[in-house]
Amino acid sequence: MNNVPLSGYLLLALVLFCIGLFGALTKRNAVIVLISIELMLNAVNINLVAFAKYGENPGLTGQIFALFTMTVAAAEAAVGLAILMALYRKRKSVHVDEMNHLKQ
Amino acid sequence: MDLTNVYQNNYLVVVIFLLLGILLPVGALTAGRLLRPYKPRKEKYTTYESGIEPFHQSWIQFNVRYYLFALLFVIFDVETVFLYPWAVAYDKLGMFALIEMTVFIVMLAFGLLYAWRKKVLKWI
Amino acid sequence: MNWQAIEWGAMLPELIVLGTSLLLILLDLFLRKTVSRRPLGFLALLGVAGAFSALVLQLHEPSIQLFHDMYRVDGFSKTFKMLLLIGTFLVLCLAYDAKLGREENVRGEFYYLILTALVGAMFMASSADMITLFIGLELLSVSSYIMAGLKKHDAQSTEAAFKYVVSGGIATAITLFGMSYLFGLSGETNLYSMAKALQETALPDQSYMLVFAFFITFTGLAFKIASVPFHMWAPDVYEGAMVPVTAFLSVVSKTAGFIFIIRFFVLVFMMSKGVNSDSLLQQVQPYIIWLSGITMLVGSIIALRQSNVKRLFAYSSIAQAGFILAAFSVFTPALFETMWFYLFAYVLMNIGAFAVIQEVTTRNNDTGMTSFEGLGKQSPWLALAMTIFLLSLAGIPATVGFIGKFGILIALLGYGGLHYVLAGILIAATLLSYVYYFNLIVQMYFRTGEVKEKRRSQKGLLIVTIVCAAATVIFGIVPNIALHFFYEQFSISTFLQL
Repeated sequence: MNNVPLSGYLLLALVLFCIGLFGALTKRNAVIVLISIELMLNAVNINLVAFAKYGENPGLTGQIFALFTMTVAAAEAAVGLAILMALYRKRKSVHVDEMNHLKQ
Repeated sequence: MDLTNVYQNNYLVVVIFLLLGILLPVGALTAGRLLRPYKPRKEKYTTYESGIEPFHQSWIQFNVRYYLFALLFVIFDVETVFLYPWAVAYDKLGMFALIEMTVFIVMLAFGLLYAWRKKVLKWI
Repeated sequence: MNWQAIEWGAMLPELIVLGTSLLLILLDLFLRKTVSRRPLGFLALLGVAGAFSALVLQLHEPSIQLFHDMYRVDGFSKTFKMLLLIGTFLVLCLAYDAKLGREENVRGEFYYLILTALVGAMFMASSADMITLFIGLELLSVSSYIMAGLKKHDAQSTEAAFKYVVSGGIATAITLFGMSYLFGLSGETNLYSMAKALQETALPDQSYMLVFAFFITFTGLAFKIASVPFHMWAPDVYEGAMVPVTAFLSVVSKTAGFIFIIRFFVLVFMMSKGVNSDSLLQQVQPYIIWLSGITMLVGSIIALRQSNVKRLFAYSSIAQAGFILAAFSVFTPALFETMWFYLFAYVLMNIGAFAVIQEVTTRNNDTGMTSFEGLGKQSPWLALAMTIFLLSLAGIPATVGFIGKFGILIALLGYGGLHYVLAGILIAATLLSYVYYFNLIVQMYFRTGEVKEKRRSQKGLLIVTIVCAAATVIFGIVPNIALHFFYEQFSISTFLQL
């Protein structure tokens, strides 16, 4: 499988990133929004690992960076879900468009 | 150019598999529908649960506590990601990395301690 | 690498803060539920003060690198860490007096979350590697997400926290996406090696990629400093969170964001080539100028229509971010000095203003502008302090805010070209800001509010108000003390050389 060119991976990552961004900005359900953010972060991981292996200047640090990104993504998702739970207890809803109590 | 040919040929295999994957089940199910007898009764339409009679809806809410365990699992599961590279390169890294890893695990232990004191680990 | 070969003393400030926060976690977990958590606030203050003194002791040591140049203790990191520590100390004083109501049981968590966020910010100030920069940024962000939602029985607070998490997550992903391209182009994560590698790339298609990477990284980082493409979270989060958290977000978190921007962009992009042979940072100047101009105008214009004090200060802090970005758009060695001084001024005046806001809003249990009515009669000293902070934020002479803004204006005018336009926008935004700042002063002195029961101001608030007001005036009259300190510590050559 080592004949897939670098641009293939980059394109995949770009498409994933755009899907994630679109989902995060348009979806109504807060859980889907959090999942979309994870999608964006995973697109970054694909980029990093692809560059680390097939890039102009390959280097191991890209893979290490990807490991750190994964951990941080997990921590962020955990905190996001916990806050969503607290919000659900107050509002009984996870719809993003109903979170409008902070505007005049 | 040669490389693009190989690249496209790889995807040809994928396409063939995809077509086969769609055609086989569709064909088999259509053949079954044409060949089998059709005599519906009320019992035949109930959900099959290994011979036991179904007793309530299949849509139930899970207890919210599962979510806490899931969170805890995610955190500790992801942290093992750091232990693997360290374990693989242990011989080269030596004493310094061992101490660093101990510090890291002690930090994690703080997290576990927190979960324990906040009674996350207890099933009520 | 050897255990003893590392100078652990260089990391002493961070280690002290980290140790204090771990100690606080343990104490908070094992103390009985009925025991008051207020003394933990003292411990936290002690920890920050200890870290500050450790930093002061380091001031005269030469700059060093640790962990394969991942971690630098140089003039830049020392001077900016000083701002972070001062800001956090003042915020902790505010937090000590915060009224938590029925959520009193989270007080302990509040203290150590501020400290972990501080550790993240300090790591950002010192790191010279993309990975550590990113980890510091996230440690700060994740701690602040929790702090914003600390009042979990309050629907506003949790909603603010959720909005913060979502916009923060998107911003992080965008920043990281840009960083991944930078890694791909250079094959390094160390900022100095990256700068060296990027200097050598000459292929035209790669330089377009480099510009693309710059733009998305910059867009993502706009979140942390609340400037234009990513400012929308600020009003909601500022309104929903508690006042000390708001103060922390608007001061310490913003300072940390600017630290990231300076260290990362100046180091990595200064030498690398853009689309033609100029340096990339020179070429993207118009972009930064427009962003900064729009940020100022958006912040100032929308602030005019606000009736809630916390929302007003959110838009005012967006405008302030625009002013500091204006300082960043001038790529001369004076950039560091103007940004540092403005951030220093901003720490003093903004935290001071938030101290008064906390006192007034808890007294009236209302965050509307009308809660300031008649403050001049009721507690003249508090009103005087607020007036000083507002004048300083507006940039009236004899305050520290004036010196900061004046420095930025001079830098802009000295550069010429498109910077003249930005200087014009800066003046226009400043004039607009007079309207809403003076509106608050009018509320305090020329409106009579209902007479409320007198309440003694609390100690922490008192200390913050007095210290900030005094410093705002003193550094406004003799700014040279601070500037001399900065010149002594910071030198551009140690910043740039490995």
